[in-house]
Amino acid sequence: MIVLGSTSEVAQAFVEKALQEGEKFERIYLFTSSRETTERFARHIDVKFLQQSEVIEIDLMKEIDYNKFDHVSSNVLFCAAGYLGDGTEEGLYDNRNTEKIININYSKLVPVMNFFAQKFESRRSGTIIGLSSVAGDRGRQSNFIYGSAKAAFTAYLSGLRNYLFDKKVHVLTVKPGFMATKMTEGLPLNPKLTATPKQAADCIYKAFKKQKNVAYVLPVWGIIMMIIRNIPEFIFKKLKL
Amino acid sequence: MKPNFTQKVTNWGNFPVVEKEMRSEDSFKKIKEFVLSHNEVIARGNGRCYGDASLGETIFSTKKLNKFISFDRLNGIIECESGVLLSDVLEISVPQGYFLYVTPGTKFISVGGAIASEVHGKNHHAEGCFSEYVTEFKLMTEDGNIIICSREENSDKFWATIGGMGLTGIILTVKFKLKNIQSAYIRQESIKAENLDEIFRLFEESENWTYTVAWIDCLQKGKNLGRSILMRGEHAFQHELPQNLAKQPLRLKKKLQPTVPFYFPGFVLNALTVKIFNLLYYKKQTKKEVKSFIDYETFFYPLDAITDWNKIYGKSGFIQYQMVIPKEAGKEGMKQILETIAASGNGSFLAVLKLFGKNNPEAYNSFPFEGYTLALDFKVNSKLKKLVDKLDDIVQQFGGRIYLTKDSMSRSSLTNYLKNIQSSKFVSLQHKRIINNNS
Repeated sequence: MIVLGSTSEVAQAFVEKALQEGEKFERIYLFTSSRETTERFARHIDVKFLQQSEVIEIDLMKEIDYNKFDHVSSNVLFCAAGYLGDGTEEGLYDNRNTEKIININYSKLVPVMNFFAQKFESRRSGTIIGLSSVAGDRGRQSNFIYGSAKAAFTAYLSGLRNYLFDKKVHVLTVKPGFMATKMTEGLPLNPKLTATPKQAADCIYKAFKKQKNVAYVLPVWGIIMMIIRNIPEFIFKKLKL
Repeated sequence: MKPNFTQKVTNWGNFPVVEKEMRSEDSFKKIKEFVLSHNEVIARGNGRCYGDASLGETIFSTKKLNKFISFDRLNGIIECESGVLLSDVLEISVPQGYFLYVTPGTKFISVGGAIASEVHGKNHHAEGCFSEYVTEFKLMTEDGNIIICSREENSDKFWATIGGMGLTGIILTVKFKLKNIQSAYIRQESIKAENLDEIFRLFEESENWTYTVAWIDCLQKGKNLGRSILMRGEHAFQHELPQNLAKQPLRLKKKLQPTVPFYFPGFVLNALTVKIFNLLYYKKQTKKEVKSFIDYETFFYPLDAITDWNKIYGKSGFIQYQMVIPKEAGKEGMKQILETIAASGNGSFLAVLKLFGKNNPEAYNSFPFEGYTLALDFKVNSKLKKLVDKLDDIVQQFGGRIYLTKDSMSRSSLTNYLKNIQSSKFVSLQHKRIINNNS
C-alpha cells in the first residue's frame, strides 16, 4: 500500500483496519512531511502486525524528486494528504495561506497522484482511494478556499475514475464530513455529525471492498450535502454557512 | 472557526462534570510547548478512573500517544506509548502467549494510567501491583525535559510517579514485562458463601490461588449479611482444556458487544431493582460449587462486554467507593460497612470484595496494603454524601484508606497519603480538593 499523508489519523486507522482484516502488503510506503511521527507509526505496525514499511519524505510545498520513489509499487494507493488552513477573514486575504491550501489539497498533489496512477494503469489493477471533503460539494463562506481546492480534487478523482475504468483500476472518492482529528481539534463540531478516525477507516474499508465510487463516512452527510447542494443560489448566498 | 479547546470533561462515573481546556498532541516537542505554556496541567488517559482524579484546569489527553514501540517476543517485554490501552496490549500479546501480569477490572485503561493509579487486580495477594512489572518509563517533568525513570535511573521519580496520580509529570512511554500463558482461558471455581464468616474463610483457604475475588450482595442483612460468590482462577494449561478449546487455545471467538444506547432514566436503578438483580445473580448458580473454563475476557472484564455501562446510572452519574481495611480488623470493618449500606437502602449494583496481600514498601504511593478491600458503586443522589460520611467514619476507625483513582467525595484524611509530590505544575482538581480540605 502507498499512503500519501501518513500522519493523517484516518490514513493510519485505515492501514490498521486493512491489516486487521488480513490484507497482505509486501511493504507499506509511508509518504510524509513529518518523518518523526511517521517513523513511530512504522514501528507501531511492525510491532502490531509484523508489517514492513518504508518512510519516504515528501514536501508538497517544495520541488519533488520523483526518482526517490521510482521503486514504489503497490496495488492500493491511499491519499489522505490535505491541509485545512485558516478559513477566517484574515486567512482569506493571506496569500501564503491560500497558496498552501491550494497546493497541498490540489495543485501539487495531483502530479504526485498521477505519477502513481500511471503505474496502476500499466499494471492494469489496483485501487486508488482519495480523501476529499464535503466542503467541496458547495462553496460556503466559512471555508471556500479549502472547499474549492477539495472541489477540484473531487473532480480530478471523478475524472480519473472514468479514465481508469477500462484499465481495470478503481478509484474511490471519500467525503468524510466532520472528523475528530488533529485537523479539527478544538473546533465546535456536533458530535452526532463527527466521525472518529476509526469509524472513518471502517467505513472506507467497506467502501473499498465493495468497490464503491463515492462514499460519505457518516451516511447522514449524504443527506445534508444533498440538501445543501439543492438550495437555490439566490437563497444560498444569503445564508451564513 | 477558531479552535476552542474548552469542553465538558468527566470521568467514568459521569460525576463531577467540568468545563476545562483539554488538548492532545502526539509529538513530544508539542507536548513540551503545551506544558511550558500552561500553569496547571494534568495528564489523562482514557478517562476510566472515577471522580475528579484526572480532571484539572488544563488537561493533557494522552489519547494520541497510542503507538507500540517494541515487543521482545522471546522475553515478553513490551514498550509502548502511554496512551496505549491494555486492550491493545492484549490484542497483540495473547495470541503470542503473553498476558498482563496485573490487570484491573477493565481493559480500557491506558498504560500510563495504570502506572499513575498503580492498578491492582484479582491477584494482588500473589503478584502485587502493576509497577512490579514496569522496567522503565519516560516522564516529562515540569520544565518540559524528558527523563528515563527506572529502579536504577531517577529512581526517586520512578517511585513517586507510581501511584502518583499524574502529579509528577506526564508519562510518555512505558516498558513492562508480560507473563507467559498457554491459553486464553481461565480454570475457574466459583463457590457460594452464605454469609461474611464463610466468605472470609473461603478467601483464606484460597490463598494459593493466583486470582481470587468475590461478588457480594450488599443489601442482605442479619444472618445473610455478606452473602456472596467467591471466584478463584488460574490460567489454564493447554492440556487441561476441553477438546473444543484446546485446538486454538490462544484465540477467542468473536462475541456480540451490546451497548447501553442512552443514559437510563433515574428511576431505573433503585433499591428494589438492585435487590432483584442481586437475587437473580446469586440464584443463577444453583450448585454450591461450579468448576469451569472461561475465556479471560469474561473472567477479568465482565463489564467491558457492555459498552458504556456507566450510562445505566443515569445522567447524575455514580461514584465508586473503594476502601482497604487492615487484615486483622477486616471482618469487623466489613461487617459494619455492609450493615451501614444495608440500613441506608442505597444498594450497590456491583460490590466486589478482595483480600490484598503485602504491599511493596518501595512503591510508597501505592493504595493497596495487606487487608480487605471492598469496591462499591453508588448512584449519585441527595442521600449519598451522608452515606459516604458514615462509611468514611468506619474506614477511619479501622485505620483504612480510600483509593484515589475512584475518590470524589471522601474526606481528605483518608485520601491524603501521597508522598514526594512537589510539582506546582501538575495539579488535579482532586489533589486541590484534598489539600484545601486538609488545611
